[in-house]
Parts: sequence; structure tokens; C-alpha cells
Amino acid sequence: MTAVVRVDKLTKFYGRDRGVVDLDFEVGAGEVFGFLGPNGAGKTTTIRLMLDLIRPTRGRIELFGADPRRDVGVRGRVGYLPGDLRLYERLTAGELFTYFAHLRGLAGLGAAPQLAERLELALDRPIRTLSKGNRQKVGLVQAFMHRPDLLVLDEPTAGLDPLIQQIFYELVAEAKSEGATVFLSSHVLPEVQHVADRVALIRDGTLVLLAGVEALRARALARVAVTFATPPPAAAFADLSGVRELERHGHTVVFSLEGDADTLVKALARHRVIALDSHEADLEDIFISLYRGEETRDAA
Amino acid sequence: MLRNVFLKTLSETRRALVWWSLGLIGMAAMMISVYPTVRDNPDLNKMVEDYPDALKAFMAFGGDLDYVSGAGYLGSELFSFMVPLLLLVAAIGAGARATAGEEERGTLDLLLANPLSRRRLVVEKLGALAGEIALLAIVLWLSLLVGVEIVGMDVSAAHLAAATTSAALLALAFGALALLVGAASGRRGVATGVAAATAVAAYLVNSLAALVDFLEPVKQSSPFYHYVASDPLHEGLALEHVVFLVALALVAAGLAAVAFDRRDLAA
Repeated sequence: MTAVVRVDKLTKFYGRDRGVVDLDFEVGAGEVFGFLGPNGAGKTTTIRLMLDLIRPTRGRIELFGADPRRDVGVRGRVGYLPGDLRLYERLTAGELFTYFAHLRGLAGLGAAPQLAERLELALDRPIRTLSKGNRQKVGLVQAFMHRPDLLVLDEPTAGLDPLIQQIFYELVAEAKSEGATVFLSSHVLPEVQHVADRVALIRDGTLVLLAGVEALRARALARVAVTFATPPPAAAFADLSGVRELERHGHTVVFSLEGDADTLVKALARHRVIALDSHEADLEDIFISLYRGEETRDAA
Repeated sequence: MLRNVFLKTLSETRRALVWWSLGLIGMAAMMISVYPTVRDNPDLNKMVEDYPDALKAFMAFGGDLDYVSGAGYLGSELFSFMVPLLLLVAAIGAGARATAGEEERGTLDLLLANPLSRRRLVVEKLGALAGEIALLAIVLWLSLLVGVEIVGMDVSAAHLAAATTSAALLALAFGALALLVGAASGRRGVATGVAAATAVAAYLVNSLAALVDFLEPVKQSSPFYHYVASDPLHEGLALEHVVFLVALALVAAGLAAVAFDRRDLAA
């Protein structure tokens, strides 16, 4: 599979402040790539580097095998939704789409009218009168309207109500089925989980994990919350293989479980258990456990 | 009007352009309507003759101060100060808004995600700036033409066009300077401030050069010198001065394109 996005030792400092450091990853054609991290981790920096709005301190970026700085044309194949969306307040949504259609060399309005209808967006109202959710719809329509080969979406579901979010996921799925590549950033992990093939976790400007969504889920299969009659000693479950104590509040201890449950169940049998709740781990848990791991390692 | 950045930028300013036009028309009408009184009072020239040299230097527009002839009156009352002032304010505002305005409002991220190079953006914004100034200059020229006709002043349409063109080129040069500072800094306030301060300094250098010896050799560096040097209301334009002002605008715009192309844009 050819890489649509190739990022090589990408580093960006703002003066002495860290943006991102030595990022390496590739996004293949037709892939939905989730780019996850907390606020301030460097997601928006990476995306603005990809669009040539800011320039790398070191390292390289290629979109479709070309340097986005030298080849302005590649941006015509990209649909971009900024994280901090600022629109032309005095234009109507329809006028904005007309303007961008011209700049992108589209014959008509592309898919904008159909997209606006699906998202229930009024085209004839000035953008300054629109609510946050409706502005976000304007951002989505302009990103998808020219049926780009690569979608770069920074926190795309912010401000959208759940029904519209559902339509957004459909749009991503449709774009993927038409062969488009999707680069999706988020700090809301379960959202990416629905649609992403692979996920990168970024923290403090560096990539901490790059894995398929399935592999990630296999990594921590379950999460078990156990409520005890009396809190067990701190080290009671420290040495169990495949079992990790995630958190503890009062009488309740939360474990992550890799592999089968037998070891944990045998260990629990020595205590009086009041309640036991188990569910499949989502990315949030993986994320948290990964961060915890980093912290304990840093502390050691 | 949304075909490209040039047309969109121009159409965005259409409301402001209407107000600017009304202001220019009003100013021309007011000044010209007073002229018959001046013409009937040749003694005014004598009075003006006794003015201190410093004042005369500020009042004259090229040539010697002559308050009673049509060309002299228009030069003193309009072209020596008010016309360049208004056109400069309009041009510096437009130049500062060009890229820095969009950068501060945050719309630049979305705009430049389109297949549009930064250099191209600067060129189109410069075009819109020039278009805006040209429209205002045409409005001013037409209203002067009508006024001169009604009152019967002895100024030709060609000489009015020359003076208006010279003022427009002067404004374009400072507008391009504002564009340059805005493109390099991303800050509209800085762009406005630097261009306005430079304009004031250039105006003073040229006006005071007649009185202060050490300014005499540097006055040719002032765009205001090239604005008035050919005495447009009597003699029309001179190629060298036109070239100087146009070159200044083009150099500033070229530097703006280079500076803008190298920068990290503010989020």
C-alpha cells in the first residue's frame, strides 16, 4: 500500500517551546488513522505542519509523495477541518462553499448541497448568526465537498449533537469506501474507536504508541472493578501475571486483565467480594493504563 | 464576486468604499463651492504671500504657492494634504487588513488549506488594494471634474487626472508597506502603526526640506517628494516620479510575498 501521508523525524519547536519531537508514521491509502492525545500533546501542531501552515524545525512531511510546501496542488486533494474553526462571518454558508469551490477549481459546488441537506445546514444564513454546532457543520461540508483523497480532521465532532455525529461517522465510512484516506485527531477516544483502522497516541509531543485498533483492544482485553468488604492490602495483587491494578477508590479496585480471568479469580477468592463488574476495555482504558505505565516508569 | 481572493476582498470592502466615496465627493464639493469667493478676492494672494515660509511650504502642492488660480487653489486646499491623507488612510487600512487581518481573525488557516500559494495570495491582496485605491481615485477625479465644470475653474481634466493618479500611487506605496509589515508580522496593528508613522515622517521630511538645509539632500527619498515633484496640476506627471512610486509599491509587495512565504502562520 502506498503511503498518502509520510512523516519522517518530524520535529517542531516554537522558539524553545516543544511542539512535536521526532514523529515517525505513515498513513496508507484508504486507511482511517486515529491521532489521539490529550490537549496540548501536539495534535494540532502536527496537522498544521501537514498543511504547510507552519514549517518543521527538522524532519520531513510528504503528502501523496510530494512536499506540501513545494507542491501547492496537493492541497487540492486534501479536505481540512481545523480544530479552531474560524469562518468568514459575513458570508453565508452557501457563499463560503462557492468561494472555496472556485479556489479548488470545482465546476459547481461539488457535493456541498447534498452534504448540507444531510446535515440539515441552512445555506442562506450569514455564518455569524449560526450556532457552534452549525458552524461545525459548515466546516465539515467544506472539508468533504470536493471529495478529497485525504481528509485531515482536527477534533471533528466537537460541538456536534449525537445525531449529527452519527452522520459524520457515516460520511467518514463512505469516504473510506470510496478510497479516501482519513486522518482524524481526537482527545475523545471512544469516538475514534468506531471508525479508525489504526491509532497513534501522542503525548508531550512524542508518539507513544502506534497500533491497530484490534491489537490495542487485545492488549487489554477486559477491565474488572471489584468491590471488597474490607479494602485489601496495597500489594495484594501486585505479582499476578496478566493482572494490573489500575485504580483504587475506597473498597473498590479496578483491574485490567490480559488473557484469561483465572489468575485474578483465584486471587480474589481469598477475600470477601461484594460486587464484581467486568466490561471490555475501550481505548480510554488503554490510554490511561499506558499513561500510568509511563508515570511509574518515570518515577522509578 | 467569489471567484477568487482578489474579487472577494474587493467585494468585502464595497460598503466601506461607498462611505469613502461619499466622503471624497463631499470634500471636493465643499472645497470647490468656496472657490468663487476666493477668486473674487485677489487680495487673498497678497495675504498668503505674507505667510511664513514654513506655512507656505506645507500649503503648496508642487510649484509656488498661488491661492487664487484654480490649480493653485485645488493644490493648496485638497492635494497638499487632505487628498493624500484620506487615500493613505484607506490604503494603509487595506494593506494592513490584507493578510494580517485574516491571520488575526483566524480565517487564514482555512483559506490556505486550499490549493492557493501564499505568494499568489499576496499578489491578489495587492491587486485588491490597488483596485480599491483606483476606484476611490476615479470617484475623486470625477467629482472634481464635475465641480470644476460647474464653478468654471481653469484646470484641465488631464491635470486633475495627473494629480489624482499621483496621489493614488503615493497611497499605493504606503498601502504596500502596510501589506509588507502585516505579512511579515501577522499583526494588523503593527502594520498600521509602522506604515502610518513612516508616512508622517516622509511627509515631514519633504515639507520641511524647504526650510531645513540638512533635509534637502534626503527629501528625494520621500515618496511625498515624488508625489508633488512634477507639479501635476500644472505640468501633469513625469515618468521618473511615477516609476519611483510604482517601484516602491512593487518592491514592498515583493518583499511581502517573500516574508509571508517563509513564516509560520499564527494559529
